[in-house]
Amino acid sequence: MPLSPVRRLLDFDAQYRRDQQHTPDFLHRRDRRLALAREQDGAPPPDAAAWLSAVDAPGAGAALRPWRRGRAALTLAGAVLGVLTMLGVLYVDGQGRINVTLILALALLQLLLALATTAQALSGRRPWGRLLGRGDGAPPVLRQLHPQLAARAAHGAGLAFAATALLTLLVQVLVRDLAFGWSTTLQTSAPAYHALVEQLAWPWRGWLPGAVPGLELVEQSRYFRLGGEAPADPERLGAWWPFLAMLWLCYVLLPRLILLGLARLHLNHRAGVLLRRHPGWAALRQRFATPWVDSGPAPVAAGAGPAVPPADTLAPPPESGVVIRWAGAGSADLARNLLQDAPMQVLEAGGSASLEQDRDTLTRADLGLPVVVLTRGWEPPTGELADFLDDARHSLPANTDIVLLPLAADDQTALVDGALLAQWQRFVDRHRPVRLCRP
Amino acid sequence: MSERPLPRFAVVGHPNKGKSSIVATLAQNDGIAIALEPGTTRENGHYPLRVDDRLLYELIDTPGFQRPRRVLAWLQAHSLSASDRPDTVRAFVTQHRDDPRFHDECQLLTPILEGAGILYVVDGAVPYSREQEAEMEILRWTGRPSLALINRIGAGDHLADWRAALGQYFQIVRDFDAVHAPFEAHLSLLRGFGQLAPEWEAPLEEATHHLRDQRRHRQHQALQLIAAALADMLTHRETGRLRDDGNRDALEHELGQRWRDWQRQREQRLRRDVEALYQHRHLRRREQALAWQPGSDLFSEQARRTWGVSRTYLATAGFGAGALGGAGIDALAAGHSLGAGALIGGVLGAAGSVFYGGKYADKLGALKVLERFTGGAEAAFGPVRDPQFGYVVLGRALEHWHQVSHRNHAGRDPLTLDGADRHWLEQLPRGERQRLQKALLDPPREPGDVKRRDALESAVVQAGEAFLLWRVGVS
Repeated sequence: MPLSPVRRLLDFDAQYRRDQQHTPDFLHRRDRRLALAREQDGAPPPDAAAWLSAVDAPGAGAALRPWRRGRAALTLAGAVLGVLTMLGVLYVDGQGRINVTLILALALLQLLLALATTAQALSGRRPWGRLLGRGDGAPPVLRQLHPQLAARAAHGAGLAFAATALLTLLVQVLVRDLAFGWSTTLQTSAPAYHALVEQLAWPWRGWLPGAVPGLELVEQSRYFRLGGEAPADPERLGAWWPFLAMLWLCYVLLPRLILLGLARLHLNHRAGVLLRRHPGWAALRQRFATPWVDSGPAPVAAGAGPAVPPADTLAPPPESGVVIRWAGAGSADLARNLLQDAPMQVLEAGGSASLEQDRDTLTRADLGLPVVVLTRGWEPPTGELADFLDDARHSLPANTDIVLLPLAADDQTALVDGALLAQWQRFVDRHRPVRLCRP
Repeated sequence: MSERPLPRFAVVGHPNKGKSSIVATLAQNDGIAIALEPGTTRENGHYPLRVDDRLLYELIDTPGFQRPRRVLAWLQAHSLSASDRPDTVRAFVTQHRDDPRFHDECQLLTPILEGAGILYVVDGAVPYSREQEAEMEILRWTGRPSLALINRIGAGDHLADWRAALGQYFQIVRDFDAVHAPFEAHLSLLRGFGQLAPEWEAPLEEATHHLRDQRRHRQHQALQLIAAALADMLTHRETGRLRDDGNRDALEHELGQRWRDWQRQREQRLRRDVEALYQHRHLRRREQALAWQPGSDLFSEQARRTWGVSRTYLATAGFGAGALGGAGIDALAAGHSLGAGALIGGVLGAAGSVFYGGKYADKLGALKVLERFTGGAEAAFGPVRDPQFGYVVLGRALEHWHQVSHRNHAGRDPLTLDGADRHWLEQLPRGERQRLQKALLDPPREPGDVKRRDALESAVVQAGEAFLLWRVGVS
């Protein structure tokens, strides 16, 4: 069954608030896909109902439940009140007559009330708003429909009132001997009253003349409270009822029915307007129309590496030995002055050197002394350095102390950055007995 | 009909020369740059750009060369002539696919042999050295279209040397600062990739078109988020019950505290929303560093001085005069005040100082009795009564948005608020200033208040554009 515009608005609003928990990316992807699927079928982007169905939005009709209950209660109250009111109006004691003027006034009052209800709904005012409170828990968008919802409920109750009152009138006509008359304190004549009645009967006088009282009946049915004289023809006094029934039908029941229909249309129209002006609606249409640009998922963040000993806990380099500058790390001066005793050799390996030159470097470094390899600490260790250290372990005597000294970005001082030192520590752990050192 | 080959690019180079940073920036993915320890990329990472599930191009983040000299030595030993070089590279990969020593080389060469273009990345901040020539030579052996990117990781500048050297090996050489390059430079670089092969031009041109649209769309969304947060913050109130025998001051203090906490949380939510919009998923992990400096939060005097306006400005907004917090009146008078602005500004500043002589935060709201009931009354703190609160919220939100939207995904530095001796409102035309003030003074009271919501959104969009202009001037 298609959703009513009010339900559609409430469901949309609820889904909009639910969507705010999602990421913009997800929303864009989801809605753009829906629009593209429709486009492939040659259809425009989904409307609100189709979209709600496609995203499997749970209904938000529960917000309307208090209104439904209130409307049912009002309708019931209107129906009961209609019966009681008509019974009260038709109540007569002994030979008394039912004053037609009173029924005319009651019908007029009902008509004015119905028009006032509609005017209030159209203006959007809610002077009775305090009665409804702030509606804690109810969606704010529902509050904006209060005037129209209230008008619909009021017209429903008014219609029930009018219908049961008319039924009560007809039943009373059937089961009782009702005598109608007219009486007023105002200085008026029977012809004037007749003219009024004729005017009121214009909706039906053309096709139902039997329901239009004649001048004779009007004259005969006038009475005065202190007059005391008996009516000329008691049987004729009951002839007012078709007029009264049609009066009630045309000035109370039908206007209520029409205004109830208008109230429903107005409610649905207002709900449609609110949906189109809903902040989520423009955003949704934008998502439908805007291509989804996806640049791939985020990689899983790598965990932190194992803890590394602080730089100042690393052992100092040996007092003497051979210094090898890997890939040109550090200056020649630094290499010469690095060790307490002047190095026996300062050699080059890696970088632009050839593999043969690396092998030659290892041969020349085989002096039975410790070997210090200077590297650029801010660059990660490469496989070629690993190969070089492995070759060194195999080609140099087994007890040769091979230490690695990573340099900082200035190429002059030792590396102190903890994260960078950690990767060098892990590197030497894989190539033991090579160890790290710092000056 | 055969399908058009899609552009694929293998980003290769020496370890830790910024390959992942390049990919992070171009793929708008800040997870790439910070997830990996430098030099530890062991497997290829694929970062396709899809538009509506249609692949337009793919970036492949590869491990760095580990043993280029050995690879080159093998290639030279197994090649007879220049014509068999691509086949020899293919043979190397086939031969060493399961050899752990050459795992990284096989990884980086595989997509190239499968048809990907080469983006070779070097660090232009360090001097050129011949040690990378083996890598470049291997890449030349593949015979694939190639482009060299000179990234700058440090402060040094050796671009000229690198350009000269790279020009001998690569068809195109481009400079690209992955951390600081503006968005237009990203697009320009992408279009540059299209020069590598004629059939790649169209998809890359289409991709840049979509990326530009996406950026425009994000800007609009971000400003809508700011407008929604402004509406919330300007209309929020905290309510409580004040009993006849209760302490009014204590209730005011409690509600005021709750009100300020709510405002701070709402501002934080806005920040997270804007960051998520621009796919800065990892900024929050550095929230400690991101937090505005101590004592400069939403309710601080510093926030008021930096982003607020004086009472005089509030009274005269739209009439061309007024003292902006920290702003020059001469700028507002378009330079025609001949220095009188300095004097007027001083007077207006003094007026502002008098008004804000007390603590700014204490003047934002007060307890108000809403409705009496037996034994007490319903009381509320808020909505804000000082109209310049809106300017503070808006200024801070625009600053955060500007930084996030102009931040490359390779960036790792924390966000910081830059102070300035001029006020961003200077860039806003007079009529727009008036409209902004009206929208801030009369914000939408409920979600369906379309008229006010549209007015506020429109004012914030104008403010965003003025802010961008101002930022260009400041930087």
